[in-house]
Amino acid sequence: MLGALAFIPRGVKAFYEEVKNFIVPQKEQLPLTVSINKKSYAIKADTRTTLLDLLREDLNLTGAKKGCDHGQCGACTVHIDGERVLSCLTLAAMVPGKEVTTIEGLANGDKLHPMQEAFIECDGFQCGYCTPGQIMSAVACVKEGHTKSVAEIKEFMSGNLCRCGAYNGIVESIQKVAAK
Amino acid sequence: MGFFDEPFDLTTAAEGRVEGIAKVTGGGKYAAEYKVNGLCHAVLVGSTVAAGTILNINTNNAKQVAGVLGIITHLQKPLVPGMANEEKIKEARFGLPIFHTDKIYFKGQPIALVIAETLEDATYAASLVTAEYKEDTKIVDFNGALASVSLTPAGKDRGDIAALNNAAQTIEAEYNIKAEVHNPMEMHATIAEWIADDKLKLFDKNQGVNNVQRTFAKLFNIPVDNIEVISEFVGGGFGSGLRVWPHALACIMAAKLVKRPVKLMLTRPQMFHSVGYRPASWQKIKLGANADGKFVGIHHQAKNGTSFYENFNEGITRVTRLIYHFDNLKAEAATVPLNLSTPTWMRGPGDCTGDFAIESAIDELSYKLNIDPIDLRMKNLALAKHPDSGLPWSTNYINECIEKGAQMINWKDRKATHSQNVNGDWSIGYGMAVGAWNAGRGTASAGIQMQKDGTLTVQTAMTDIGTGTGISMQNIAHESTGISKSKIKIELGNSNLPPAPSQGGSNGLSSIGGAVVAAVAALKLKLAAYAASQNEAYKNATAADILMSDNGISFKTANNQFISFTSLWEKNKLAILEVEASSGPGTERQKYAFCSSAAHFCKVRVNRKTGKVKIERLVTVSDGGKIISEKAAANQMSGAAVGGIGMALMEEQATDERLGTLVGNDFAGYHFPVNADAPIIEVAFINKPDPNINPQGSKGLGEVGIIGTAAAIANAIYNATGKRLRDLPITPDKVLLG
Repeated sequence: MLGALAFIPRGVKAFYEEVKNFIVPQKEQLPLTVSINKKSYAIKADTRTTLLDLLREDLNLTGAKKGCDHGQCGACTVHIDGERVLSCLTLAAMVPGKEVTTIEGLANGDKLHPMQEAFIECDGFQCGYCTPGQIMSAVACVKEGHTKSVAEIKEFMSGNLCRCGAYNGIVESIQKVAAK
Repeated sequence: MGFFDEPFDLTTAAEGRVEGIAKVTGGGKYAAEYKVNGLCHAVLVGSTVAAGTILNINTNNAKQVAGVLGIITHLQKPLVPGMANEEKIKEARFGLPIFHTDKIYFKGQPIALVIAETLEDATYAASLVTAEYKEDTKIVDFNGALASVSLTPAGKDRGDIAALNNAAQTIEAEYNIKAEVHNPMEMHATIAEWIADDKLKLFDKNQGVNNVQRTFAKLFNIPVDNIEVISEFVGGGFGSGLRVWPHALACIMAAKLVKRPVKLMLTRPQMFHSVGYRPASWQKIKLGANADGKFVGIHHQAKNGTSFYENFNEGITRVTRLIYHFDNLKAEAATVPLNLSTPTWMRGPGDCTGDFAIESAIDELSYKLNIDPIDLRMKNLALAKHPDSGLPWSTNYINECIEKGAQMINWKDRKATHSQNVNGDWSIGYGMAVGAWNAGRGTASAGIQMQKDGTLTVQTAMTDIGTGTGISMQNIAHESTGISKSKIKIELGNSNLPPAPSQGGSNGLSSIGGAVVAAVAALKLKLAAYAASQNEAYKNATAADILMSDNGISFKTANNQFISFTSLWEKNKLAILEVEASSGPGTERQKYAFCSSAAHFCKVRVNRKTGKVKIERLVTVSDGGKIISEKAAANQMSGAAVGGIGMALMEEQATDERLGTLVGNDFAGYHFPVNADAPIIEVAFINKPDPNINPQGSKGLGEVGIIGTAAAIANAIYNATGKRLRDLPITPDKVLLG
């Protein structure tokens, strides 16, 4: 029984490797209408395209960052219908009918979101690469009400890695906004 | 009591960084984010073996993928003049001769590059490239290979370490640290565009645009000025951007091949073998002291891993010659070649590694001597002069760092024996360690453009990798001109701007600060020369006589002879006033030695049942001379402390000897601290200017923030548990089994 379990995946993989040698699948493109930062885009997207690559490569919305492409770092965090979501683990084809908000859509015109103001004031970043993801998560963290203590903020912000280690300022920024 | 006499408190913060809005709105453009017409994408294919020779590469299936524009291998590639033959490759000293060899030195080594219309096309096609290899014996296990190389002297001996035989107490122990990977959040990326046959434009992630420019000018045999490198926003570096790496060359070759701009961003797993890492290391320390605590001598031996195609010596024993006075000293080192990519400098290179062993040994010795670890250090610090060069320190306040840190963490609460520290399943302990770094300065240039309304644009080619170079330049320009910060713009990270050294080794601000001061002096003289046409008094004015404000210039004296910028501009029919100036180290380097230093204090809780280590408090006090931008400096130090937690407790690049491969080469497998792994770091500065290092009196901070942190944590774990753990990272299994 165990032997069979070990055999099947290996068999499937070998079959796939074999098939790859004579069939190279053609890409498919899907017509999609997506709403990002309250703006509607009618596009044709490769079925393999992630929401993150759609934003960065096709729509020039490079605020959402690629830090791992594996859902391990949080740099690509956006909001979908108000919830924080990893855009690198979301296919573009999954978002029609939903409202996507990226860091570019957080400010109200020239007026920064209070969380953006707080990150500047509390120096909640160094290199700035994880920052859009941190801010999108931080806004959601406050909305979710996970701000009762430093420990709670730290726990609920631990999906967003910061290699510069600017965690002091990130926590302080969230406390500041939560207190308002 | 000043603000920074207290533990760091962000609530008193006021204004932010010059690039703050760009960073919080997503507006700042990092290397891979520029919109370039006709851009296509490149993806690297890595070797599946760790050692051997490529027999053939099959690209037929990849070529069938719609959208593929070209494939580069060592068999088919555009010409790189600087790598045209074996001799030139050697001369280029570029490291891995990417696509110019059939030899495989490590698993993941690029063997092909697929260029296609879209990232999806390129990624898929790259997965279809296969190769056959003649495999050779491989070795990736550092500890297994250690014994095969012998040690050689690292610097001059001092005295005779035979004296250690007469020491009242000695420590003799070995220390092992696993390889660590920089992993800046932004993966290295390049966009390359050939503007003409001999003109290249690069958007690139690096820590020194002029270094990138020089490297490729040489490889492609074109004038340096024909290459423009733009690195305005750099998503972290920690040393990984100090070298120019093979993937950037691959991207430029791709742009040559397809005659279109090409983007190449490494994947996160590729980051682990493409842009260096802190090599695994082994150290042995023999340290002895008299009964009164005076050190008798030290014997420091160290080995670190390197690759088979380049030698990288970390300089682990350098720090042994920096902090304490040893009458008798012997240092030896060696490198151990492995089937891995070449390591490189990572934050606090060498010193961070060596300091862990020394500071652990000193802590251990303090218990043997029954002397408080602070007192033992205080007795032996080399406070007057650099112990090796004999030059007097320009300034060295490491003792004050220790005193302040001890106060902040309440060192008096520490119990000397671990049995006194039990609290339920948890044991509580305190530990401390110090670190130091030779404080450098390079020659840098800065330019200023001034408008009629008094607005300044201060420019340099230097990058800001997140350290706060921009805000610090603004602060220095504001201090030396008197012009409001809101009227001072900063432009950096572009090779068209005045040249500057790479940002690394804690030299960035130390170098560029002087250049800004020099440029301001040049500006004042230029303004005075124009003013002389209106007012004779300005004819022989020196820069030191002149005062600037938002509105005009004047003398510092009571009869200030004020002239407004408006009238100056109108009378002289000026448009934009431009100056450029350079500044660098001088004879002070022959008179003095320079160092930055820090003391780190840690309070830990260790769970005796699970082996979990929880950092309860981490205090970092540093002497970085005058602090130019308090918030950015404190951020640097707390960030470095977080890096130190990673080094101490979790960071480890594991390898598999059987497969010759890296294990866990992504963020699920390689852990560095998340928000919840670190407490709120408490930071303080001595904040006394160094009068000799540079005009602004600031010494670099980036390195000392992490040099000593890991030892402070390990020493606290010993204080809590009685377990002396000498191998990093200290994972729960080591705590339980130790």
